[in-house]
Amino acid sequence: MQILAGRSIAVRLAVSSLFWSGVVLLVAGLILSTLYLRATERSFDERLLVYANDLAADLVTPTDSGTRDAGSLGDPRFEIPLSGWYWQLGRVDAATRDLRSSRSLLGNPLPTLAPPVADRPFGGIRKESVVGPEDRLLRLIERDIDLGEDGRFVVRVAGPADEISSAVRRFVLALILTFLLLGVGLGVSTLLQIRFGLRPLSDLRGAVSAVRRGEADRISGNYPGDVAPLAEELNLLLEANREILERARTQVGNLAHALKTPLSVIVNEADGPTVELSVRVREQAMLMRVQIEHYLQRARTAALAGTLGSVTDAAPVIEALARTFGKIFQDRDLAIEVSVASGARFRGERQDFEEMVGNLVDNACKWAVSRVRIRVDLGEDGDRNILRVVIEDDGPGLPEGARAVALKRGRRLDETKPGSGLGLSIVVELAGHYGGSLRLGSSRLGGAQAELALPGLGPA
Amino acid sequence: MRLLLVEDDKDLNRQIAAALVDAGYAVDKAFDGEEGQFLGETEPYDAVVLDLGLPGLDGVSVLTNWRRAGHKMPVLILTARDRWSDKVQGFDAGADDYLAKPFHMEELLARLRALLRRAAGHATSELVSGSVRLDTRSGRVSVDGAVVKLTSHEYRLLSYLMHQSGRVVSRGELTEHLYDQDFDRDSNTIEVFVGRLRKKLGVDLIQTVRGLGYLVEGVGEKAGASG
Repeated sequence: MQILAGRSIAVRLAVSSLFWSGVVLLVAGLILSTLYLRATERSFDERLLVYANDLAADLVTPTDSGTRDAGSLGDPRFEIPLSGWYWQLGRVDAATRDLRSSRSLLGNPLPTLAPPVADRPFGGIRKESVVGPEDRLLRLIERDIDLGEDGRFVVRVAGPADEISSAVRRFVLALILTFLLLGVGLGVSTLLQIRFGLRPLSDLRGAVSAVRRGEADRISGNYPGDVAPLAEELNLLLEANREILERARTQVGNLAHALKTPLSVIVNEADGPTVELSVRVREQAMLMRVQIEHYLQRARTAALAGTLGSVTDAAPVIEALARTFGKIFQDRDLAIEVSVASGARFRGERQDFEEMVGNLVDNACKWAVSRVRIRVDLGEDGDRNILRVVIEDDGPGLPEGARAVALKRGRRLDETKPGSGLGLSIVVELAGHYGGSLRLGSSRLGGAQAELALPGLGPA
Repeated sequence: MRLLLVEDDKDLNRQIAAALVDAGYAVDKAFDGEEGQFLGETEPYDAVVLDLGLPGLDGVSVLTNWRRAGHKMPVLILTARDRWSDKVQGFDAGADDYLAKPFHMEELLARLRALLRRAAGHATSELVSGSVRLDTRSGRVSVDGAVVKLTSHEYRLLSYLMHQSGRVVSRGELTEHLYDQDFDRDSNTIEVFVGRLRKKLGVDLIQTVRGLGYLVEGVGEKAGASG
């Protein structure tokens, strides 16, 4: 079974079951054909014995003529020359060998099965296959008959052995045909059984790959008793994996945040006189800040795969953001208009939704002259619900050529506005993780328009 | 103006406190949430700089507790967590502004000035009373366009009175808002400084309301809109 190592269970089961059914069928066939051969031989022998007894009876029963004669057995095959059916009758105790044969023998002798009478005890029946006239295989039966003072006789009757072998051959042929059909049937049913029996395994594989693709967060479904523990273990493993991921994410976050305070100290310490050292320190500190932001973001998005199934109501988030921006930009007298389709929901984490919309609204507020508009509605793309968030301002707007640049990481179109320049690229990255997209355009308000398309959900 | 600074990092606390004192504020320092919350509840601060990541009681809880207890002083949140969800949470807890670490000290000072101005109801950074102008951004005081040099104590006093223009400010309130909690409040320094300011800026600017305190009157802003 070494060659099967590494093959699928289905192949292993199929090969081993086909192999063993083959062996069983072969052995059964051999046994059956042997038994049949024996049975056929026996019944043939019995027929020969009947003839032999007839001949013996003819010897014993005195005929009308008073002579002991054994002539015709009433079977014409003994008359046809070299038909394969022969008999021979001879007296063995007298000096005169009174030997008579069937006409079919044409004078040929039949082989004897026993040594001369003097060398053995007289009596009994012997059977054997021998080669007869014309090298034909014969089945020969030989019987000793003791008639007392009337003499001792040996009767031999032979029939063609190919009658046996052809009967056996026919039987074996039929047997092979039957067993072939049986084998094919067994094979088919084995394959069906394997498919049926292994279905829980392929179901399990489907469930695991659904988890890997992010379509499910655990393995669900009913599994038979021997697979269920495996599914349970897999779920525990997934759970542990998720915990590790969550812990790693938290730790990356903690590390990044813990670094920011000392970084603040460094930046402030260097904020003194503009000597070369302080300029260099400020520069490097700024780089560190950008790096920290970048990897923080990476850690956040990397964990997105494990946060499936969460749903966020759009309205409270948008309202909270509008409230927040109202406070942040309260000196600017901005009108932040909000309209959210009732019941519109985002298929994802609240924090990520806040991050995407927050960055876009932040940009809009920075550039707006007096108005910012946030619209949320539900659309459809095929069978998917799309949550569309459109954020417009009445600022200077974004020229066509600048739009692609704006989406790149670390790009800032205007260094005079505060910000790390990560905003839009974070939005693009997050939206991408959710299978959504960000489009920049121009607004009817006169400024820029950002359109965020995200996986959505209608009213609950 | 008296500020409360709640920041658990000792170095950052020292730096911010130094910068705030340099800018002419009286500063009380707290290093954890409990201490910060207690001070905020018991002392009359003009503004608070509050770190969110505090040991013990976290900043958002401190802020929520203050607001629930009816303390309305402007609060500037300082934090390393700068996702919008963090900011929304902070603002919803009652913050007035939000500054993400690492930050530049000038930015912090500018945000604080804006907070204090807004809390006092002024729309611009320049406060005007008669011929006296006070630019909160640069800390410059001028009379009829001529710059007058003030000591930090004099500046604090003038700045507070001009922020609270049109309202009588008691001597006790002045003491509470101009000095940090470690200052010896029994001294008669307020009167001394009022006298010096009158000498430098003219006797009409600060009026004494007998038995009640001091008043800076006729204060308008550059834009003319007084809150």
